[in-house]
Amino acid sequence: MAHSKTFLVVLMVFQFLALHAQSDNTIVLEEVVLSDVKLLHFSNGRKVSVLKDSVIQRNGASLTDLLQFNSTIYFKENGYGMISSPSFRGTNASQTAVVWNGININSQLSGQTDFNTISPQNYKDVVVRSGGGSVQFGSGAIGGSIHLNDSFLFQEHYDNKLVLGYGSYNAKNINYSTAYGTDKWSLNFGTTYKTSENDYKYLGTDRKNENGAYNNLDVKATVGYLFSKANVLKLYHNTFIGDRDFSGTLTAPAKDHYKDVTSRSLLEWGNFKDHKISRLKLAYLYEKYRYYPDKEKSDFSFGSSNNMVLNYDYKYNIGKFVLNGIADFNVITVEGTNIENAHRNLFSGTFLLTHHLSEKFRYGINIRKEVVTDYDSPFLFSMDTNYQLTDNYSINVNASKNYRVPTFNDLYWVGAGAVGNKELTPESSLQAELGQLLSKENYTLGLTAYYIVSEDLIQWKPNDAGNWMPVNIKDVYNYGLEASLDVRQQWHNNQLSWKNQYAYTKSVDKDTNKQLIYVPYHKITSNIAYQYKAWELYNQLLYNGQVYTTSDNSDFLQGYVLSNVGVGRTFEIENGISANVGVKINNLFNKNYQNVAYRPMPNRNYQLNISIKF
Amino acid sequence: MKIKHAILASLTLGLVFTSCENGDDDNRQSLGDYDRGILISNEGPFQNGTGTVSYVSYDLEVAENEIYKKVNGEDLGNIVQSMGFYNKKAFVVVNNSNSIVVVDRFTFKKLGEIKEGLLNPRYFTAANGKGYVTNWGDPNDNNDDFVAIINLVDFTVEGTIPVEFGPEVLEEENDMVYVVHQGAWGYNNKISVIDPASDKVVKTIPVGDVPNSIAFDDADNLWVMCGGKPEYSGAESNGMLVKINTATNTVANTFEFTTTDHPKQLDIEDNIIYYALNKNIYSMPASAASLPTSALLENVSFYAMRVDDEKLYGTDAKDFNSRGDLTIYNLNSKEIIKTIPVGIIPGGIYFN
Repeated sequence: MAHSKTFLVVLMVFQFLALHAQSDNTIVLEEVVLSDVKLLHFSNGRKVSVLKDSVIQRNGASLTDLLQFNSTIYFKENGYGMISSPSFRGTNASQTAVVWNGININSQLSGQTDFNTISPQNYKDVVVRSGGGSVQFGSGAIGGSIHLNDSFLFQEHYDNKLVLGYGSYNAKNINYSTAYGTDKWSLNFGTTYKTSENDYKYLGTDRKNENGAYNNLDVKATVGYLFSKANVLKLYHNTFIGDRDFSGTLTAPAKDHYKDVTSRSLLEWGNFKDHKISRLKLAYLYEKYRYYPDKEKSDFSFGSSNNMVLNYDYKYNIGKFVLNGIADFNVITVEGTNIENAHRNLFSGTFLLTHHLSEKFRYGINIRKEVVTDYDSPFLFSMDTNYQLTDNYSINVNASKNYRVPTFNDLYWVGAGAVGNKELTPESSLQAELGQLLSKENYTLGLTAYYIVSEDLIQWKPNDAGNWMPVNIKDVYNYGLEASLDVRQQWHNNQLSWKNQYAYTKSVDKDTNKQLIYVPYHKITSNIAYQYKAWELYNQLLYNGQVYTTSDNSDFLQGYVLSNVGVGRTFEIENGISANVGVKINNLFNKNYQNVAYRPMPNRNYQLNISIKF
Repeated sequence: MKIKHAILASLTLGLVFTSCENGDDDNRQSLGDYDRGILISNEGPFQNGTGTVSYVSYDLEVAENEIYKKVNGEDLGNIVQSMGFYNKKAFVVVNNSNSIVVVDRFTFKKLGEIKEGLLNPRYFTAANGKGYVTNWGDPNDNNDDFVAIINLVDFTVEGTIPVEFGPEVLEEENDMVYVVHQGAWGYNNKISVIDPASDKVVKTIPVGDVPNSIAFDDADNLWVMCGGKPEYSGAESNGMLVKINTATNTVANTFEFTTTDHPKQLDIEDNIIYYALNKNIYSMPASAASLPTSALLENVSFYAMRVDDEKLYGTDAKDFNSRGDLTIYNLNSKEIIKTIPVGIIPGGIYFN
């Protein structure tokens, strides 16, 4: 193992994720250092963007904050810090998959991930993969998927970092992370605690966000042991404990309270032999929530799920082909106030192929079939290709069939005024995408167009008896255009980075020909960061266009522009020790805005962060 | 029908109150923009947003949505459950905001708001110069349900009467208040009788499972439509139409439906009983000896339904997240007279 190369490879792999063919030597390296190699090898024709730790630092409060300002995803937040759900390429909240070290972690209960219960801090990077990915990443990867990846560094190092923050609404955060490594071991540990009164002023009224206080604790750790050149053992763990009051709306006060715990553990054994790589994974995912309708009382309703995953992955590199077969077995059990003991066994077989036909042309064919105990699952496929026309210009094309399975709530809910439906089938979706990338020394320009047809979308509506029940009823098509422009300049002690994204999204109900609710036609993000010696200055700009709030498009929320501005300075204290002081103003223009109707978002607010690396 | 009883109540109380029922007083002076028409209470979006009130003139020529906001420049609140009336006032019950907005029923000018003492308020009625409002309390607690007593002068809650769980609609008749216990998120099967003189529950009358609507016939009998428990409850039970003699407060007659039939939306007009069942509308005279076998209207179902002056008014809540509409049928020709767009989830129809 060439240790000097390791770090370089990590960087390179992530920077040029979709672009570079790998030599055999680097393949083995990747297998060792990365947690999710599929993301790299089987995303040929995909738009993949990587948010690095410097970007995560600026919007580190939650995954919502991070992606709000750094992707084309629209977020619906029930007030700042409250339940947050994405709309990726105009799809609904359960059609975006969140993938943790290669494992889909969307809730078994709701099918979604609450993006305010994921702390992006302490991950090396967060990857946004646009478009369908159900073959590789399972249910919900329709609009796209968000990947949280740990990586391992097998060389001598010992690094510590402590971050302390204070801000408006008595918001406090503390983050500590440490990384230790030798040529055999790689250890990482990170923890973040956040708390805020979150009692921001509702602009234009004399009221405040009365019931919005929150705190959360995130702990993560990884251990890697390279016990021979051919064998590596890795352990990953992440626990998030959230405790929130739930904000009311402009028309209804609230006294609800919500506690949730999610915990994920993954043990992985990797074996490398020439061109053969095999991995055995054992994972355990746990989630539990308690909802208190009245925080003064002890009554609550709850739901919890346990998911055991056994996964065997065998990959074979032969000439210009990469072949990968995966067998995956899941045992899921769910219980809760409104769900009697329900369980599901799921077996899936996946086959992935990538062919590097030439230096410039690659394509992939991927298929997946599942056998599930409680519903029929469709045959899934994806085909993708990447063609490097010139040194600077590449085209990629892909088509795929993806799905979203009915959740345990959808199938087994029993309760007041609502009832699950055991007859549900998975939502299915066909899509095609065409992308182009122009990359020069100082800029990268991307342009992607896509079309998605989704059928049998699950929607809750009252049945004849007046009870809410989910049915496979809605057909939708989405199409859109995404443009991105990254500009970077470097001169003397100056460094400038300017990243822009624009998305035009049309998401139409086939029956009514109306735009779906909470899908903006236009979203723009623009981030500029300027560094001079130890100083850093940045501005984040977000435009969310008008969104409809009723399905007949009779009511809407106004579009808005948000801007955050920050300044920071790094101090070298002594050899190996440095400190950074940063101040950030969020919502600089003090804009009164909502991304969910009747749920105001924060006014102008301030944040101070001090970090020390040692 | 509600209006007729309000009139009766006010006459009994010696109050001067001009009738406003459709058709009987067309020559009197209009009492406001929203006189002589139908008021629709629209619940509004379920989780966030505001309910609204729509107005449609009796000749169906004038239709106006969001009339409260138009007049008062503010939102009513989240989930407008229902409206009740007393003299010239309308009491708009806003469930999730735990409030009752009091307006002039003809001009819709805000007169006040009751914000304290309500918890999941459902329906309003007036009796003995007081207002009575059913409240679920905490929906997860079956022992805290109550009827709030409203002071109609200063719009405050001046007392509460603990009741059986799941109180819904309530109406006054023969100086008694009849409260229907549908069962909130669960199932109940009772009518309780409150004496407004003592503000106590004087009798509890068992009826069929899940009573969902009531009306009075010309002989002051109380008719209770019981939907029965639904299939998914695991203990499906049949619907039942129960007739209660309000002089003795005893069950006078019972009409049984089959186990899988779950009727709803009972109304009585000119001593004819109307109800909805299995996407049909049925009618029968109050004197009938058995349930009708053929439908009055076929293949229709409504979110709310009322009958008045040989017309049937039914609302459609569509997908519950867009503007619904009100359809008016001529009950003689069974033809649709008109369909009028109203607000989101139109749950209540009132004749003003």
